Amino acid sequence: MQRTGNRLGVAKILFLGLFLVIGGRAIQLQILQGDKLMRLGERQHLKEWIVLPKRGALFDRTGEPLALSMESHSVYARPHRIHDPDKMSQALSRILNMRAAEVKEKLTAKKPFVWIRRQVSSAEAEKIQVLNAEGIGMFYEPKRYYPQGQLAGQLIGFVGRDSEGLEGVELKYNDYIRGETGSWVAQRDALGRRVLVQGVEGLHIPPGSDIHLTLDTSIQHMAEKELEASILKYRAKAGVAIVVEPFTGEVLALANYPSFDPNNYTKHSAEQRRNRAVTDSFEPGSTFKTVLAAAALEEGVVGKDDLFYCEMGKYSYAGKIIHDTHPHGWLPFSKILQVSSNIGFTKVAEKLKKDRFFRYIEKFGFGQITGIDVPGEVSGLLRRPEKWSAIDLATHAFGQGLSATPMQLVMAYAAIANGGFLMRPYVMRRAVGPAGETLLENQPHVARRVISEKTATLLSSILQDVTTEGGTGFMANVDGFDVAGKTGTAQKADPVHGGYAAKKRVASFVGFVPAHSPRLVALVLIDEPEVNVYGGVVAAPVFRNIAQGALRHLAVAPRKAAPIPAAPSRLEPLRQLVKRPTVKAADNGADATPDFVGLSLREALEKAQSLRVKVRLQGNGYVVKQTPAAGDRWHEEGVLVLSLQG
Amino acid sequence: MASAAGARTRVARDLKRERSAHKDRPRRRGFFAIILGVGLIGLVWLHVWLRLQVVHMGYVLSTTSKLQHRLEQENRELKIELAMMTSPDRLESLARRRLGLQQPEKGQVIVLP
Repeated sequence: MQRTGNRLGVAKILFLGLFLVIGGRAIQLQILQGDKLMRLGERQHLKEWIVLPKRGALFDRTGEPLALSMESHSVYARPHRIHDPDKMSQALSRILNMRAAEVKEKLTAKKPFVWIRRQVSSAEAEKIQVLNAEGIGMFYEPKRYYPQGQLAGQLIGFVGRDSEGLEGVELKYNDYIRGETGSWVAQRDALGRRVLVQGVEGLHIPPGSDIHLTLDTSIQHMAEKELEASILKYRAKAGVAIVVEPFTGEVLALANYPSFDPNNYTKHSAEQRRNRAVTDSFEPGSTFKTVLAAAALEEGVVGKDDLFYCEMGKYSYAGKIIHDTHPHGWLPFSKILQVSSNIGFTKVAEKLKKDRFFRYIEKFGFGQITGIDVPGEVSGLLRRPEKWSAIDLATHAFGQGLSATPMQLVMAYAAIANGGFLMRPYVMRRAVGPAGETLLENQPHVARRVISEKTATLLSSILQDVTTEGGTGFMANVDGFDVAGKTGTAQKADPVHGGYAAKKRVASFVGFVPAHSPRLVALVLIDEPEVNVYGGVVAAPVFRNIAQGALRHLAVAPRKAAPIPAAPSRLEPLRQLVKRPTVKAADNGADATPDFVGLSLREALEKAQSLRVKVRLQGNGYVVKQTPAAGDRWHEEGVLVLSLQG
Repeated sequence: MASAAGARTRVARDLKRERSAHKDRPRRRGFFAIILGVGLIGLVWLHVWLRLQVVHMGYVLSTTSKLQHRLEQENRELKIELAMMTSPDRLESLARRRLGLQQPEKGQVIVLP
């Protein structure tokens, strides 16, 4: 019994000892080294995944996507882990279509990490994955796509590789579009696979907001197409076309030439990427006469039928001679705007006086930014009247000696179109958050009343005369609609020699349509055209074509119904639905009427002679109309009637 | 007399019951220990099974989440492709070149006021 008792005692002590050892070890592992060991363990089975911000999309006013984001892969290397750089560089260069030497240089770099190529295509990424090479890996990175290509490129802007907006709307609303960078931690198994034992709630990182713009893709396309055609035809340097809704200030189209494709922004120069509608200012020329006309009418200084003597084309003022393109004698006020007489407007400015004139220039928004929500807007150059020299009153009257952005000019005309209110233009309608909530919304904003409704209505009717037969803007006339507008042909300053350049001009047309209840205001500005420099010839037809297409797109009924063509017979299929065999012939010029519009009298005669075309001339100056129209079927024995003006 | 005999009998019966109760106690204890042991083992198994289920569901979730991500990516790709296909520039060039369409002439479009 005694021996058994001793054995039990020994066993007890042994077990107690063991228990103490185990307990001590447990205290050491759990309490003393607990935090450290837990960290080590987590490092083995927990992994943090970084989620890059997911940019919101950009849409036009009809919901057409203008910018979308997608995840793409970027290929990197850890050079010290690559065993055979020669073989690897060959394989990678084949997949990524790069030079093998270039790849090898990266693979043998003495750096722990190098990018081989960022944002590769999905096909390339798949091939890299199949390669499964040690030391080569891929990261997910967001890539921005602009599915409409160069459409509104300068306005939309672009983002850099790090998904940050760098220009245009992408920059202006970057804080809304960008989205949040986040991360989530998940367990991983021995093979490195993700095991979401905590559920998926933690995975949701809110993406950026979608931006809905005021742009209309169809109108934007028309504006870009027509602007480009005119610039190529008249061999101009650059151009801008803007279409605005006059009662709200919404920008429907903003076209720039040269165009710019944000998908390949690195291939374009800063010059091409510039949004000239807001970043460049020009001397507006005769389009500015409307501002003086509005001021003079509002102040009661002139009436519509007041007569002015236009000095037969030469007027001595403040020691300088002011010229008109064509000599005129006595003209009523409405007519001096129609024929755009510099002398007539100098006399109107003399009656108004410079202080009152300046007050209206400022009221119309010149010399200050319009507040449009795109970056880089400039205010233009406007000197205070105290600094004007004696001649400045006259030069300001016909839009020289000051500068304005195309956006300022179009908004000034919008004020006349909407009954006298200067609106703040905007391109962003609303920002919509990931849950569909509206985070930011632009509403029409009246900056101030500039002129009374009565003056605006009177001025609209005078501006309509400009686009009728005999007016400088005749070529802006849209079939079935009354157009109110004004042409401009401004001299360009010569920065090298001072004064104005001998041949450089800015041709423009600004107007609104339908004149009685305007639906859109549009400006077309062509910089340094070579073939012809007159706004009425170079810019007015662009306005007409854009307005025609836009009004059709907006389903605006014409005031004067155009004659309905005879119904096609059963034997003659509809023209629009059949392939036209004459298209090619017309393109080759075999049986199509050649285009004479825009040519001077001498150029038209030379062209007619070289093409052996019989022409009949009506008027003098530049060809503004031809019958049959360019591209129509041409008979060799026919006579081409050319109407000239300007 | 009769009452003294009855009292003795009752005492004897109580003693007998007490003795049998003493005999049953260790048996019951063993029974409870077994129940407790089995219960504990069951709980451990349940915990392990639940843990395995959580891990299994974690894998399922991970796979489904990857699939969702892939489908979203595919959806974005298709949206981009659709937008490219329906861009006004492409549609106009197709209409003109392939179908030979042209802008409607005067009076061919009638907008009802």
